[in-house]
Amino acid sequence: MTAREQDVLRRAGEASVLVLVSLADGPKHGYALIQDVKQFAGVELGPGTLYGALDRLERLGLIESLPADERRHPYRITAPGAAALRAHLDSLERVSAAGRLRLQLGGV
Amino acid sequence: MSAPEAREGRMVDAALRCYPARWRRRHADEAAELAALLIADGTPAASIAWSYLAGAAREWLAPRPGRSLSTVAAALLAAACLLGFSAALVAESAPARAAGTTQPPSGPVPPKIKPMPPSAGSSSPHQFTPCRPVLPRQVTGAFPAAGYSQLSIQGTAHARSC
Repeated sequence: MTAREQDVLRRAGEASVLVLVSLADGPKHGYALIQDVKQFAGVELGPGTLYGALDRLERLGLIESLPADERRHPYRITAPGAAALRAHLDSLERVSAAGRLRLQLGGV
Repeated sequence: MSAPEAREGRMVDAALRCYPARWRRRHADEAAELAALLIADGTPAASIAWSYLAGAAREWLAPRPGRSLSTVAAALLAAACLLGFSAALVAESAPARAAGTTQPPSGPVPPKIKPMPPSAGSSSPHQFTPCRPVLPRQVTGAFPAAGYSQLSIQGTAHARSC
């Protein structure tokens, strides 16, 4: 399997990647996710976008919902989710490195 | 709960009702809870409702295991066809209504000509005829087939004959 094929997050959208990054250091519920993403990425996720991403990631088996705390469901990254995030970040790093190198070579 | 808070809550609830039942069963409670937290945080309820509406639209359009891409495409195509058909019907009926108008919008305008007594006009080359509305005829060529223009032309001609 190529690195590109391993990167299941390639087509999942930016919100899904941001949610996975946020969940990488521990379980969070919706409100905490929105606050965390705003803090580390400067992106304000709308609640509709957030639940779209959570639903998609859950169906892909990349996150799982924990028992509800009152009406809030905390979510946790799964082992396949962590692997997918790692593969996606590696892919981004390769693209980023290539981009920086080419900018240097081009003298732009 | 104050009236504005109740209105905001209703707005968000209405947006959440737009989601498919499967999604509502799974997320509706926590989504409502999140909306309440965001509103308390100062986020406008309208923007939250809008975000949920957009999410609901994406949820309906996203292909699911039981709902193939072709099903979604067929549903979109059918909706587009219905929309196009309705638009065509409206476009067709609008000129037809305009051409079919035989009276001005405010109702018939009676000619302001005083009728002459029959005896006074007996030797005149113009015979007396009581003024009455004339049935509209289709005017071809010089004027557009708009009902109001036709009536003006006929009204003028009729007034002269009286």
